[in-house]
Amino acid sequence: MSEELVKLKIDGQEVEVPRGTTILQAAKKLGIRIPTMCYHERLTPIGSCRMCMVEVKDYDHPVPACMTPVEEDIEVITDSDLLFEIRRNALKLMLLNHPLDCPICDKGGECDLQDLVYEFQIDKVEFQEKLPNKGLPEYATPFIRQWADRCIMCLRCITACREITGRQAIDIVGKGWDARVAVVDEEACKSCGECLFVCPTGALTDKLCNIKGRLWTYNRVQTTCGYCGVGCQLELNVYENKVIKVTSKNGVGPNKGSLCIKGRFGYEFIHSEDRLTKPLIKKNGDFVEASWDEALTLIKDKLTEIKEKYGPDSIYGLTSARATNEENYTFQKFFRSVIGTNNIDHCARL
Amino acid sequence: MAKVVFSSWTEEVIDNRGKSESEYQVPENLNIPDNFDGKDIKIFVGWNGIVLKEEGVSIVEACWKYMEEAQKHSCGKCFLCRIGTKVLADILKKLVEGEARESELEIVKKLSVSIKEGSRCNLGQTVTKPILDALEYFEDDFKNAVNGIVKKSNLNYMSQLTAPCMDACPIHLPIPQYVEAIREGRFQDSLDLIRTRLPLPGIVGRVCVKPCEDNCRRMLLDGPIAIKHLKRFVADFELNKKGVAKFTPLEGPKDKRVAIIGAGPAGLTAAYHLALRGYKVKIFERLGEPGGMAAVGIPDYRLPRDIIKKETEAIQSLGVEIAYNTYVGKDIKFSELERDFDSIIISIGAHSSSRMGVEGEDAGYKGFIPGVQYLLDINNGKDPYPEGKRVVVVGGGNVAMDCVRCSLRLGKDEVILVYRRTRSEMPANIEEIEEAEEEGVKFMYLTNPTKIIGKDGKVVGIELIKMELGEPDESGRRRPVPIEGSEFFLECDIVVPAIGQAIDLSVLEGEEGIEVTRKNTIVIDTETCMTSKKGVFAAGDVVTSPDALIRACAGGRRAADRVDKYLKGEEVAPSLEEKFEDYFSKIKVFDPAENIGIIDGRPRVPIKHMPPEERKTSFVEYTQGYTIPEARAEADRCLKCYRVGMIGY
Repeated sequence: MSEELVKLKIDGQEVEVPRGTTILQAAKKLGIRIPTMCYHERLTPIGSCRMCMVEVKDYDHPVPACMTPVEEDIEVITDSDLLFEIRRNALKLMLLNHPLDCPICDKGGECDLQDLVYEFQIDKVEFQEKLPNKGLPEYATPFIRQWADRCIMCLRCITACREITGRQAIDIVGKGWDARVAVVDEEACKSCGECLFVCPTGALTDKLCNIKGRLWTYNRVQTTCGYCGVGCQLELNVYENKVIKVTSKNGVGPNKGSLCIKGRFGYEFIHSEDRLTKPLIKKNGDFVEASWDEALTLIKDKLTEIKEKYGPDSIYGLTSARATNEENYTFQKFFRSVIGTNNIDHCARL
Repeated sequence: MAKVVFSSWTEEVIDNRGKSESEYQVPENLNIPDNFDGKDIKIFVGWNGIVLKEEGVSIVEACWKYMEEAQKHSCGKCFLCRIGTKVLADILKKLVEGEARESELEIVKKLSVSIKEGSRCNLGQTVTKPILDALEYFEDDFKNAVNGIVKKSNLNYMSQLTAPCMDACPIHLPIPQYVEAIREGRFQDSLDLIRTRLPLPGIVGRVCVKPCEDNCRRMLLDGPIAIKHLKRFVADFELNKKGVAKFTPLEGPKDKRVAIIGAGPAGLTAAYHLALRGYKVKIFERLGEPGGMAAVGIPDYRLPRDIIKKETEAIQSLGVEIAYNTYVGKDIKFSELERDFDSIIISIGAHSSSRMGVEGEDAGYKGFIPGVQYLLDINNGKDPYPEGKRVVVVGGGNVAMDCVRCSLRLGKDEVILVYRRTRSEMPANIEEIEEAEEEGVKFMYLTNPTKIIGKDGKVVGIELIKMELGEPDESGRRRPVPIEGSEFFLECDIVVPAIGQAIDLSVLEGEEGIEVTRKNTIVIDTETCMTSKKGVFAAGDVVTSPDALIRACAGGRRAADRVDKYLKGEEVAPSLEEKFEDYFSKIKVFDPAENIGIIDGRPRVPIKHMPPEERKTSFVEYTQGYTIPEARAEADRCLKCYRVGMIGY
């Protein structure tokens, strides 16, 4: 079925896109950048930040590019004095209740607000000398920390909690200046961290990695999550050869950037002192350290003995999602061809 | 026409400052009442500008207060409105105190423009119009304030949120809010919002006359939001996913008992609100099922009875008792209710048919069946007169449409509708008329019956006369006048008069002290909803005479509120919120002449119907509900036209 195409102009350039495309998407196709803040590809457009306001020739009022579908023959203007003023004022208003504590913010260096303030060269907010600190209660789960005063209320977190995870644990509470993002259903929150993944500022941060490294001092290594068989893509944030945080890239992998509580926060075991680094063999009721040769020989002897005495089907192999694909493959191959049984299974299948 | 000192309402600017009253210019498109709740209004500030009723009132102070009030209503979903109005309020306050600098005046101006042009909803888009008007027409006041010349009026200010659709809705549902909840996929939240006022979303979502959609600003762009159909969507969503709702009372149980006569829309709505407040409620219903006129007057193809039963069941989850087949006035005396209950609400509706006043009407011919009776029989699953094959229905309202369309569904050979005016004057919904035409009903306009003709005790035909339109009558429609000598005969075996419903007050048999009108409506005090008898209240068609279902619900809600106040020993009077609702209704929130000025081209998501050939043989509901993506796409069209109106006195 062919889609109906709509022809329009953006900043004088002609473009043809399917009906239903938003002005923002059409501009992207042309390579024209319209500034955004609350917009997120995976969420229903929110329309809270007003950064993407554009004008349409012959119409009186600007419209948000993220929420407005294109129309035949319209001429969109993405920059004008009015639009610049709206965007600048919106940013200034955001800064009114956003502390400039960038030096101690874990989001520093990859903060959308920081980038936009830089782009719009806002060196002062002349509206008011100071607005009172709202004195909002701090909220934290064991993994997620909310910095209430850093929140600009773009509402991405609320939308993601509702639309991606389907939980509705957080919502807007209050009106006007007193409105804030708050937990409305504590039970519903599973600390999946979807909210902090979409947060454009440092209002929601990983509680485990607070002030452990700055963006430009550590490396991000992309890898596959080992907790289950989905194959979520994540990035280990490595500082001085230690994993200090897990992040994910929007749109990458089958998870498209989403992670569960284990994938996002379950990384501290990597450097745990309690981890086994050598095989243990139980002797006289106690585990005793052994060499790999000794351990593997023991396993080989026992398996051979059982196989000869009771037959190969008396042995059952269960492998783990924490192992790699290659390791899992080798394991089943070993069971089928060396031991000679089809008794083989994997925890992710259960 | 109101006397004003200054008005910038809409685009019409009137400036009478410094003039003597005799020279006052009078605004044309302005109706802002001088009085609110017994208080003289000195200034009104709202979405369309400033209306100053008294010279000398401090405009700067009013602007400051208006921004403070806006803060109370700003939903917090966009930066410009949420924080911008706070900044404006703070600067304006400094101006009133004489502490602001000139540079701050420039901020007020620039920020006001940004808020107006950049805000997400109409609240932000309209809220700075009065500020910009004030800066333009009261420049000196602001300059003086900067120079420390302070003028204070110390008036009292009050405000309320409204929207064109909310204003037009008789029960004032928070429409933009529940539509937005649908857009966001929060269907249960949306339903909960509706239920703060209306317990019958499935019913109203199917048969409402939807004044909201006639007042929808999107209509001025590319068609109104399908508000009614969205309401049905959330009601159906719950029913399909979770089953019948269960409610929990908001207040603790009370020992006071309330009797409600009639389980129609008004009675059910009143019962819901009273039971939510913990009262013991018992409804006495003459018929064997709930819904009143909605059940027996509206055919199943428009409103399945199942929906009525389930919504009633949900209300009963609050402990509301319903005594069916109980005819107050016959099975139980009104005086017994007075003895056993602390308060009574009469909501019996209008269940009789009006008389046509023509010869043969009282002859008792078989085949002559009044409209309400006709529909009642059909809705009970029987053909009122199976021998009859050629049907003439007289009337032009929704009941007449139901009668003709039901006749087709019974398999009658020919169905003719006779109406004394023309199609454009017909009071029935246009959709109903169009659908009846599609289904094959024959329409005879400018025709009126003069005689019912019978033979051997059966209807054999009807004598009709041609009409023409004369001078307009009190309803504003041109009065139909018979053309002398144009009588003609039309063969038929069923005649159904459906020219209006009447009220049967036998419920009050032997009861004195309740004032009724000539039209058999019960007189109530509009403020207290109380009849002329203490403790007895009335709501719905029995008060208003036959009217829209949603107005009956609104009446039921108000009556419940007054009964609550009466039983708590409080002053029985409208709440402040209601007073604002009534005040805004007089101002009119919707302006059909407004130029919206944004790009259009998102026509409403089509509502799917069964094809006429298929539906005209069946009583199955023929309108399909929206799917989830359809509902969310339709809700996305909403312009969120919130506005704040503030009075100063």
